[in-house]
Amino acid sequence: MVFITLRWSVYTIPNIARFRRIGVGRGDSMSGSRSDLDACAREPIHVPGAIQPHGSLLVLDPADLAVLWVSANFEEITGRTPVELLRSVEAALRAWRATGTHSYRARLQNPDLDMAAHVHQGRIVVEFERSTPVFHNALLFRLTGFAQQMTATEELADALSATTHLIAELTGFDRALVYRFDPEWNGHVVAEAGNGMLPSYLDLRFPAADIPAQARNLYSLNRIRLIPDANYTPVSLTAIGEEQDAGSIDMTFTQLRSVSPIHLEYMRNMGTLSSMSISVMVDGKLWGLLSCHSRNAHHVTSDIREACDFVVQSLAMRISSDSRAETAALGIELARVHTRLLAEMAKTDKWDEGLARAPAALLELTRADGVAILSQDSFLPVGQAPEERQVRRVVGRLSQQGAATDFYCTDSIALELPEDDVFTDATCGVLALRISEVQDSWLVWFRQEVVKTVTWGGDPHKVVRESGRIHPRKSFEAWREMVRGRSAPWHPAEVAAARDLRASIVEIVLKKAEQMARLAADLQKSNRELEAFSYSISHDLRAPFRHIVGFSQLLTEREKNLGERSRHYLQMISDSALAAGELVDDLLTFSHLGRAALSADKVDMNKLVDEVRRGLAEEAASRSIVWQVDDLPPATGDATLLRQVWYNLIDNAVKYTRLREEAHIEISADRTDDGVLYRIADNGVGFDMAYRSKLFGVFQRLQRSEDFEGTGIGLALIKRIVERHGGSVDAMGTIDEGACFTFSLPALPEE
Amino acid sequence: MPEMRPILLVEDNPRDLELTLTALEKCQIANDIVVARDGAEALDFLYLSGSHAARDPGDPAVVLLDLKLPKVDGLEVLEKVKRDENLRHVPIVMLTSSREEQDLVKSYELGVNAFVVKPVEFNQFFKAIQDLGVFWALLNEPPPKLRLVGGN
Repeated sequence: MVFITLRWSVYTIPNIARFRRIGVGRGDSMSGSRSDLDACAREPIHVPGAIQPHGSLLVLDPADLAVLWVSANFEEITGRTPVELLRSVEAALRAWRATGTHSYRARLQNPDLDMAAHVHQGRIVVEFERSTPVFHNALLFRLTGFAQQMTATEELADALSATTHLIAELTGFDRALVYRFDPEWNGHVVAEAGNGMLPSYLDLRFPAADIPAQARNLYSLNRIRLIPDANYTPVSLTAIGEEQDAGSIDMTFTQLRSVSPIHLEYMRNMGTLSSMSISVMVDGKLWGLLSCHSRNAHHVTSDIREACDFVVQSLAMRISSDSRAETAALGIELARVHTRLLAEMAKTDKWDEGLARAPAALLELTRADGVAILSQDSFLPVGQAPEERQVRRVVGRLSQQGAATDFYCTDSIALELPEDDVFTDATCGVLALRISEVQDSWLVWFRQEVVKTVTWGGDPHKVVRESGRIHPRKSFEAWREMVRGRSAPWHPAEVAAARDLRASIVEIVLKKAEQMARLAADLQKSNRELEAFSYSISHDLRAPFRHIVGFSQLLTEREKNLGERSRHYLQMISDSALAAGELVDDLLTFSHLGRAALSADKVDMNKLVDEVRRGLAEEAASRSIVWQVDDLPPATGDATLLRQVWYNLIDNAVKYTRLREEAHIEISADRTDDGVLYRIADNGVGFDMAYRSKLFGVFQRLQRSEDFEGTGIGLALIKRIVERHGGSVDAMGTIDEGACFTFSLPALPEE
Repeated sequence: MPEMRPILLVEDNPRDLELTLTALEKCQIANDIVVARDGAEALDFLYLSGSHAARDPGDPAVVLLDLKLPKVDGLEVLEKVKRDENLRHVPIVMLTSSREEQDLVKSYELGVNAFVVKPVEFNQFFKAIQDLGVFWALLNEPPPKLRLVGGN
């Protein structure tokens, strides 16, 4: 029998292009039938007002166990009137009520009945089903073996398969299958056992609309459902008390609840007259269903159903532990990657550059194909990241959605942002995190499209309409489609890892900002201290030197009869104090240079050099100095400071040529590409080029102080002034032949 | 020949005081030199109050004012004098050991007539004091006597 025919359809993006937000279930893709489907999804299946005929039901008043409702088949099933039967179970029910628990089960004898009672919405519901003897020892043995198998089986697929085989064996259904929900509530048959009476559904998918939301809700609350015969006639309830509307009885927790006619039609269409399903609840959530079917009517007693529930919950525990182990293992792996990224970030000042230095780890953290780190003024792509224009467009869209959107995650960006045609390449998955709102910086991972073929149990896009009412589909022929436009979904552990990384980055950025603020505060404090220090140097240290010099001088003038040696000593005292005073002045000038604002005027260098030479005329008067001063181009800068530069350089030239009979001092300049290079050369004592690098340091002297006076700050001062003007200094020298100092200044702006 | 009005020297440091007096003495200025040892005393002299309540009336030819003083410092004295309609014409020369630019700026903002950083080298110091004395006490022409408005 050829039951399944294969048809192909290419599922392209425009066909299903609808805007969808993450976290909301996928809107089904059937068109033109929404109101019908909604009506179907709204059907109040928990209050059918009737039960299935394989058992009978009483509704009691909890206060006095008075009968409020009774099912029409009560005597047929139990062989007793409600009053008769109640009399024999009243004591047991009262004892159960005293415990305060939700439900109660008992096996009655004579007649042989399974009784199940529960309290719901202020009523006691008691259900009776005929029981048949069960071989308890054999069943227990089988269940124990299964429980062991659940812990020992390595692969989940094997555990699923074993479950279906056991259930099929215990219940005698033609087929048992495990039906797993995807995040959008489509079902996927992942394991199956059968006797060949029914077609295999293994690996088929069923659209979410097959099991509407309120049905799924009932599945979560009440795990077991049995429909022994889809052709059954519902059994009505008879009111004994004042309540007349049987539709007011909430049957959420009953086992005999009559099911939706649409579901029965669905079963008949599927070619199965009996079914049973047990919910697979993993960590409190509906993971899937264990579903059984037979071609013909088939009944399973409540003991066996309980045993099956035990089997399925054992499987659920196995699934839960697998998923926890997988998440934990992935978490550990991702934590390792996280640590590696932190280490890279710690090596640089900028977190984004640090991350970009570990591209492999950054991709591994979320198992992405590409990632982009971007802020207002930077874009760092890693791996298969889309173009900057595309990434900025997406991030811009997210920014517009408000401050709350600092996290965004999708496996189908083109579906999420359909009006954005920027993603025409293979990028489908996007995981975006905003790092800083102030700088608008983001970390965005990308995944490429994964094309997969899905086989549906029937065309999920086709809606059957008859007489203005929706009907469940009749065709369960396999229908294949190629799903395009989606990446692999982001695993919760990967999303968590991405969020953790963001937290680390924010912490690092914050910590750095705090450090900078602290440093700035420290710096301000030490600057203030330094200023106070330079003030006190200037004021308090200068005065005593002046006094020493002054009084030595007065003493020398007053005591005309002082001996030669005494006079010499006084001169030494005076000279020392004078030198110290000059040192204080130089130090102060030097320290001021760091903070004083520079003026930037056009400076006539010829004029400056002339002024300096006139100032030194007295010193030079007794000497034979040959000056050669060229015409000097003007400079831009602070005239006072540049005068200081010329003063120190010319003063040095005059000083260090003192031993020459005829000193030669040349001052010249060259225009260069960048500006002007000024030069002053002399034929003085020169210096050893080995010490060239030390020349411009503070307190560096290359001459013995008794030969040439000076504080050792002059050249350091020159360097500082020139550098503050954006120029540089240099010197060449030959011992005993002379020295040539140069300094460059940037070009004047064009006038 | 201008009348011989005194020079008010405000100086707390005894060594500076001695050096300054020596320098003034050497340049043979005939003016009296009144010494105040702090800002408060200087103000007493200028306002004929306190220990100077009974002095001969008249303003000094020049005030040589040290910047750092106990009690009321030099900048405060300067500010008070230059804000006083009756005293603002009195020339004030700020003398200081400090080469701090901010003091210079502040002094000029307050209307100082001259600002002199005392040179370390004695001959320069001597010359500076001498120049000051000669200029302000001998050469400088004081403004005409102010008539007291509404006075007798």
